Amino acid sequence: MMRSFIFGALAALALPVAGQAAEGTRIQVTGEIIDTWCYFSGVMGSPDAVVGSAHHTCALWCSAGGIPVGLLAEDGTVYMVLKVGEDDQTAGGDGILKLAAHTVEADGTLYERDGLNYIVVNAVVSDLDITNQNHDDYGNVPPFSIPASAKPQGD
Amino acid sequence: MWRALVTAFSVVVGMPAAGQSPFPVDIGGPYELLDQFGEVRTEADPDGKYQLVFFGYANCLNICSAAMPLMAQVVDDLGQDGIAVTPVMITVAPDQDRVETMGAPLGEIHPDFIGLTGDADALQAAYDAFKVEVEPLFEDPEYGWIYSHGSFVHLLNADGALLTLLPPVLDVGQVTKIAKTYISPQD
Repeated sequence: MMRSFIFGALAALALPVAGQAAEGTRIQVTGEIIDTWCYFSGVMGSPDAVVGSAHHTCALWCSAGGIPVGLLAEDGTVYMVLKVGEDDQTAGGDGILKLAAHTVEADGTLYERDGLNYIVVNAVVSDLDITNQNHDDYGNVPPFSIPASAKPQGD
Repeated sequence: MWRALVTAFSVVVGMPAAGQSPFPVDIGGPYELLDQFGEVRTEADPDGKYQLVFFGYANCLNICSAAMPLMAQVVDDLGQDGIAVTPVMITVAPDQDRVETMGAPLGEIHPDFIGLTGDADALQAAYDAFKVEVEPLFEDPEYGWIYSHGSFVHLLNADGALLTLLPPVLDVGQVTKIAKTYISPQD
């Protein structure tokens, strides 16, 4: 149920047409760079728990592992990030890693395809750092994303 | 909600020619690699089937362990509708995925899985064509090198042209539905 609800956020309102040409729309989006695997699968917790500071470490792992990153806009829409700036590859690289869990203001081009929203981020206009400080509410999600040996004593 | 929004279209329209990406990023192109039987295989499917192509490695415990079983289930679901699709993995770990070693682990995921490997230049050509980043992260004492790599699944036609991308974070039903908007049993 939750998964279906979340995927509604991914879906474009316009119905998709298979094979349509890639014609983009210039957009400006403010939102958080998220780990789409944990956000959509629900395996690590509720959508509110797998974003922000609570999920930062896991988001780093997932981004480094090549899992597509998304841009979660303030209205709940999720954009699958195809490319950022001059990155040669699709949704990978250090640029993305550094932005994990950060809120950014992005200037990009939106492509609606297959009912999904894809965005090519032409420029990160501003990096607002991690603004969703939700670790007091959720702790570290999931706890095992930080090995016990790496945690400060007393944690 | 998803099912209501993602409408299945049965028509096949606007098939891109090889080398023409339907995305704003130029994705797809030629490659020439070796499969687990030692046969040369290019981006064109020798049996004229559609293809699901993923870049990963056979013993990967991370995103591949979700993406490749997903591909296998999609292949089976499409097969039940009379649509033949070949699942293909292009290795990002040629040190681990060799002609003689790829077949067994891939066969456990799906009997039709094709693994492709090759020399560094041949693999790099494939990575470059599909804009896939590959980076060794660290060496696990038990499993060997762990790699970071792009994880979109690519739906290709029989000629090897990209039809669309399939994010591996979608579930089987969603991926199958999207795939069926591009292909149909009578193709």
